[in-house]
Amino acid sequence: MNTIVDTAPRRGLFAGILHRLIGLVRNPHGKPRALMTITWLYMIWTIVPVVVAIAFSFNAGRSISVWQGFDATRWYWGDPVHSVLHDPGLQAALWQSLKLAGLDMLIATPIGVLLALGLARWRGYGKRPANFLMLFPLITPEIVMGVSLYLVFQYVYVFIDPSTTAQVIGQVTFSISYVVIVVRGRLMSIGAQYEEAAADLGASSWDSLRLVLFPLMLPAILASMMIVFAISIDNFVIAQWLSCGAGCDTVPIKVYSATRSAPLPSINAVAAIMVYLTLGAVLLAFVLYRFLTRGERVKGQAEGGLTQMGSVDFN
Amino acid sequence: MYPRWLWKALALPGVLWLVLLFVLPFYAVIAVAFGTVDPIFQNPVPIWNPFNWNFDNTLKILAQFLPGERYWTVFVRTTTYIAFAVSISLLIAYPVAYYISRHARRTKVLLLVLLVLPFWVSYLMRMLAWVGLLAPDGLINSFLIWSGIDDTPPNWLGGHDGTVIYALIYGYIPYMVLPLVAALDRIDNSLIEAARDLGMTARQTFFRVTLPLSKMGILGGCVIITLPMFGDYYTPNLVSSSPSTSMLGNQIYLYFHGGPQPDVGATLTVVLAIFLSILMAYYLYSVAKAQKDLQ
Amino acid sequence: MTQGTNGTIQLVDLTKRFGDHLAVDGINMDIPSGEFFSMLGPSGCGKTTTLRMIAGFEQPDTGRIVLDGQDMVHSPPNKRPVNTVFQNYALFPHLNVFDNVAFGLRRGRISKDEVNRRTNEALELVMLGDLGDRRPSELSGGQQQRVALARALVLKPAGLLLDEPLGALDAKLRRQLQIELKSLQERVGITFIYVTHDQDEALTMSDRIAVMNEGQVEQMGSPREIYEAPETAFVADFLGASNLMDGVAHGRDDHGRCRVTVGDHELVAALGQSDVNGPGKVTIRPERVQLERPGTADNHENRIEGEVERSIYIGSAFQLIVRLNAGCTIEVEIQNSGCHETFEIGSRVVAYLPPDALRVLPEKRARSQGAPAVARASDTERTGKREETTEPSTEKTDTGRTARQAQA
Repeated sequence: MNTIVDTAPRRGLFAGILHRLIGLVRNPHGKPRALMTITWLYMIWTIVPVVVAIAFSFNAGRSISVWQGFDATRWYWGDPVHSVLHDPGLQAALWQSLKLAGLDMLIATPIGVLLALGLARWRGYGKRPANFLMLFPLITPEIVMGVSLYLVFQYVYVFIDPSTTAQVIGQVTFSISYVVIVVRGRLMSIGAQYEEAAADLGASSWDSLRLVLFPLMLPAILASMMIVFAISIDNFVIAQWLSCGAGCDTVPIKVYSATRSAPLPSINAVAAIMVYLTLGAVLLAFVLYRFLTRGERVKGQAEGGLTQMGSVDFN
Repeated sequence: MYPRWLWKALALPGVLWLVLLFVLPFYAVIAVAFGTVDPIFQNPVPIWNPFNWNFDNTLKILAQFLPGERYWTVFVRTTTYIAFAVSISLLIAYPVAYYISRHARRTKVLLLVLLVLPFWVSYLMRMLAWVGLLAPDGLINSFLIWSGIDDTPPNWLGGHDGTVIYALIYGYIPYMVLPLVAALDRIDNSLIEAARDLGMTARQTFFRVTLPLSKMGILGGCVIITLPMFGDYYTPNLVSSSPSTSMLGNQIYLYFHGGPQPDVGATLTVVLAIFLSILMAYYLYSVAKAQKDLQ
Repeated sequence: MTQGTNGTIQLVDLTKRFGDHLAVDGINMDIPSGEFFSMLGPSGCGKTTTLRMIAGFEQPDTGRIVLDGQDMVHSPPNKRPVNTVFQNYALFPHLNVFDNVAFGLRRGRISKDEVNRRTNEALELVMLGDLGDRRPSELSGGQQQRVALARALVLKPAGLLLDEPLGALDAKLRRQLQIELKSLQERVGITFIYVTHDQDEALTMSDRIAVMNEGQVEQMGSPREIYEAPETAFVADFLGASNLMDGVAHGRDDHGRCRVTVGDHELVAALGQSDVNGPGKVTIRPERVQLERPGTADNHENRIEGEVERSIYIGSAFQLIVRLNAGCTIEVEIQNSGCHETFEIGSRVVAYLPPDALRVLPEKRARSQGAPAVARASDTERTGKREETTEPSTEKTDTGRTARQAQA
């Protein structure tokens, strides 16, 4: 009984898609409706659950799974005990996340920018190993990095306990590579021609660095800062492994522990705040990048920039 | 124009940072894995000199990966989960990427934006979303009951293999679509037109031209999601609290934070890293080979 | 930094090696003040490298670069009184046109008023006076090219280096700018060193041309000398003006002409060097070949029988492709005088190659290093392949034909 009811409508859907696919093969010049359907279903499937989760941060009741009416403020600041504003744990986690992301951004960006410059221009011995080294944090599973840092602070850098400092150091370690990827991509597309032109026109090395290279790199630097902010604020594994306990909890850590016990919509609210912040940072990065490079736009670059911004984030 | 040492000097802080905080820490894992255990306090004592490394514990642990032994089940479970998750992801991701890169015209930019959106939503948030939806009283079950499909739907979060695989797919699939779009975008449209012009049917063109040319993108996408999945411990924990769905990552996590036995955890980490390096080496080898073939 | 120097530039034994590839192989050039001098050659012939060494972007391995008697090999690019117009202009995208042009002036100790005055003057010179506040990306290709020119000229350099400055423009604009560039050079009187792979461009504008190949100068001379009296097979081929036939030279005959065999036919050639021996190329212009019906001539000197393979009507003339019994094909051009006899495809003809139109060229220019020609051949292929991506490929035959048509 169960199975019949269960599969019947699905089979209809699959048969429909199959039919469309056959139609596509028979008539390749027709609109690929089946593919289009799959694509849009995919988009809805990836995005709608998050929207629903954010919607539950406006739930009037105490459930994150049953809708009990709309209340715009309760879980953000209305509830005198459990709202993000009044729950000391959540509030602390929010500040901790922002603190880590801010410090990470301020430390990783300069180091990464310099490394990108070095790697882009450095000739001769050492370049390949350095390049390889830079790529490794991108492909290393976070748990491996977490374990490594956890042990190195325990046995080598014994003067650093699991703490905010350790968390910042850990996040900087995996953020540097993102900065390098973004900035070096920009340097590659700039090439050496503008610096040569500056030198040709009588500019000293310092002048050409200051008046030509830096202004041209600026969009990438700002974009990478925002990206570091975004990935740092979303980071869970490194922050958890180097956490000193409740005082070091970030929002993702809170979400993790709350989800496994009895979550209130305030968790959705604090996670939603993170989503707003991240999207804000990314949007800002995108707008800044577009604004600062407005003089060089070639058709079709908008897409390129977008995919580039996403593709650097694959850890 | 610039002094020769300048670029190396600029790279120095970054390189130094990565050596001290990426390479050295990994060496610390190895030193702990191949170290000894203090007989009294039972805490690990790392051995830094490779000539003094002690492989006894490592071999003992490796032996437990054999069929029927302690880690066999969890290893098989991890690889099965990942195999399912990666192949289903590919089956979903490929048509999506194909449509976006080859057919979406006016909507392409919009679709790319939507595609990138999940990257900027915390992984934990995306899992939280499904925890809410799959809860016993969540929207999914309410729908199943309301529509009459299933009057007594299961507790999806009660330790189901399928839920973990599903969550892995949901968590990692965006990382696969993007390299696929990039790979498919790189295929020159005139190659496809040439294939059709030379008399191939649409089906033949797809299987003989498009698919082979996107092979590296497929491989890249698979590798990109396989590597982090092997290190995942939070996804199974979030959508299933049962030990019956725990993965290799959970095992490692437990040895550090559960009943602390960091030496075993470190050994498992090394085993995992070596296993993934082999995977990565194979990928890099194929990329190099493919590039050579194209020349 | 930019004094009113003379602008004579000398390159002495310049060499540059990239890895195991010899990019520039002992170049000597002597460029007098105010000359429009072109370096012409295919991709990877070393012309751009030479220019970059003059500008200071590359350090030569050996040799000297002398400007008005002063060796500048060791001064950095910002200290050299020469300026460059880059291939893609390299206009700073974050600065507007005015700031681009004023960039160099602001590096020196020049008052603000003076900077403004000279910048505006330079913009006027290239007829862009009212576009100062535009961004480079808002300009057309031709306008960008002028900005690049103004930016370099505003510094009153002793020499202006131009690296294929018209390469990115379409053919019609290119023609127009060629003329403008030449007249501009005559007005400002600055030494121009112009790098191009387009023989049309070089022939139209230059006072003198150096044809380069494989890092060496094949021939240096006025456009007319280069075009009409090529000294090597490479030059003749690159300028695309002639038929090239493989032959073997046997030295001078009694009349001071060169004896040469093509296939099994003996010919004599009166143009060029006569005391040549060994394998080489025999060249003749298509319009100098005379076609006759078999059996109509009274002697056999310089006559080879053949068959018309193809006949192309190009309006002012007929172009015939004739396969000679000597085993090669040549192109023949017959003026369309309205009443000449037509040669059908497949008809037997005798091609008369007048001695005073025939030139024997050595396979390779005799080199000081004395490298044998055969050993070099593989070299060409290798370097040719490697450099292909750096410069737009040269459509030798096409442009060659254009040049010929322009002449005819």
